[in-house]
Amino acid sequence: MSFTSLTFLVFLGVLVVLYYLVPRKFQWALLLLASYAFYLWGGGKTVVYLLITTCSTYLAGRLLGGLNRRLKALPAEERKAKKPSFDRRKKQVVLAACLLNFGLLYILKYWSFTAEVVNNASGFHLPAPDLLMPLGVSFFTFQSIGYVIDCYRGKYAPQEHLGRYALFVSFFPQIIQGPIARYDQLGPQLLGEHQLDWDQLKYGIQLCMWGYFKKLVIAERIGVMVNAVFADVWGYSGSMMAAAVLGYSIQLYCDFSGGIDITRGVGQMLGIDMAENFRRPLFALSLTEYWRRWHITLGGWMRDYVFYPIALSSGFRKLGSFARKHFGGVMGKIFATSMATFVVYFVIGIWHGANFRYIAYGFYNGGLITAGLLLEPTFVKLRERIPIRWDGKGWHLFQMARTSLIVFVGRYMTRAPRLITALAMIRATVTDFQLQSFTDGTLLSFGLTAFDYWVVALGMVVVTAVEWYQEKGGHVRKWMEGRGALAQWAMVMVPLLVIVLLGAVGQGYVAAEFIYAQF
Amino acid sequence: MEELLQLLTETCPGIDFAGSEALIDDEILDSLDIVTIVSAIMDTYGVTISVDDLVPENFNSVAAMLDLIQRLQA
Repeated sequence: MSFTSLTFLVFLGVLVVLYYLVPRKFQWALLLLASYAFYLWGGGKTVVYLLITTCSTYLAGRLLGGLNRRLKALPAEERKAKKPSFDRRKKQVVLAACLLNFGLLYILKYWSFTAEVVNNASGFHLPAPDLLMPLGVSFFTFQSIGYVIDCYRGKYAPQEHLGRYALFVSFFPQIIQGPIARYDQLGPQLLGEHQLDWDQLKYGIQLCMWGYFKKLVIAERIGVMVNAVFADVWGYSGSMMAAAVLGYSIQLYCDFSGGIDITRGVGQMLGIDMAENFRRPLFALSLTEYWRRWHITLGGWMRDYVFYPIALSSGFRKLGSFARKHFGGVMGKIFATSMATFVVYFVIGIWHGANFRYIAYGFYNGGLITAGLLLEPTFVKLRERIPIRWDGKGWHLFQMARTSLIVFVGRYMTRAPRLITALAMIRATVTDFQLQSFTDGTLLSFGLTAFDYWVVALGMVVVTAVEWYQEKGGHVRKWMEGRGALAQWAMVMVPLLVIVLLGAVGQGYVAAEFIYAQF
Repeated sequence: MEELLQLLTETCPGIDFAGSEALIDDEILDSLDIVTIVSAIMDTYGVTISVDDLVPENFNSVAAMLDLIQRLQA
């Protein structure tokens, strides 16, 4: 059931009415029922994977909670003596949960790729069955493993009720494309009792509309042109390839952030405040900052469950001591941390899928960020020598443009069908950039009219203006509330009309899935 | 306190450690800074800071970091 289908709107409408009508102690059960109905509608038989992950991580959480409780109950001396043995057992539980769930994820998402590479390289014939990918498998696996690790660390007591835990894993607005929630943030809200708050309901609807605007008016429209170029990529000049990648960058941002807006809007309608996943990445001044603003919950997950454990592991600490001894200076201090950073960005790259282009994407981001960290002392010295205003608006604009260009180049890798194609397209963009292809009618041969391009361009102006206002500390919905009743009414009706009239809906429209749903 | 402040300033130059009580909450320190600081503290004070100790309350201020070190030394 796609967020953009009429079925979903009916489903949501009925759910919201029922949610505030049923006795509040049953609200969580209604959400669980709705979440599984949503999943079965879209995922069918693959619900079995969701059940395996739910049951295995629930069990792991219970075991870890029991071990933590038993250790805590021991007298101080005995606790100290038995801690290593308890820690060992806790690690075994986490390892088993990780092996089962990441193993499943590996088989579903990466096995075909592994078999293909091994078969091509060695002549073996490893079987590569065409497995049906469960809806949102990466998202619910990461979210559940995060829960298990938090239980291991004793961050909170595990949820003892299987049904209540199952809701945390399967909550329908977030299962397709996140955000990847933390149990201590989302769990209590899902299980709490919620009274109808008209303001929250209104804010939720407004946020959903903003998401639909980005998805249906901008992303779906520009996606037509992107798909047309990538369907016959060698039939076009380098400049058209660049235009398609630019279009894809717009499509991806509006698709993903729009989808998250709908997710958070639905949550708000139900009285649930879900984690922020985007913080205006267009305004990032560096690639590191970009990744702190884009898909925030995945970055946070990687930081807490991959980066910290790696960076603080004995191996990396030894590497750090070695670097400090042999390299000295700032390089010595940050070398090991930079290597851990590289690993994280590499993992983020392959998180997107099993393909050489995602591996290259991981290397690209990890390599640039690591190089930036290691070269920072040199940049500091350079900045001291060049007499310009380093805190001025001009420099900030340059940094934003530079970051956008780096992200733009990376997008070749995530959209091209193969790594070799992406590299050839980057080359063609530089060597075969024909300005006249923007005016000779080529752009109008992709199934979009000049009006469509204007809609996309103006849509992006609106998105950028709103984000600029937010970046300055403004709150759009509160600003709207400060206007008169007529203006407020107009501000709801105009976007609704825009979505209905300019959105990719109507006859022949097939409710489109979100790009990140495939990850 | 002075010794720790000096170590922090040397480890992450450019950050006003003395003037903030919300180094993590206000995003003055990022994850990279934290790991660099943790390594420096472990090397200098001979304590073991685990991943479980990496919570904002332990790194929001110099006093909080000193408190963590003293707890781990006890």
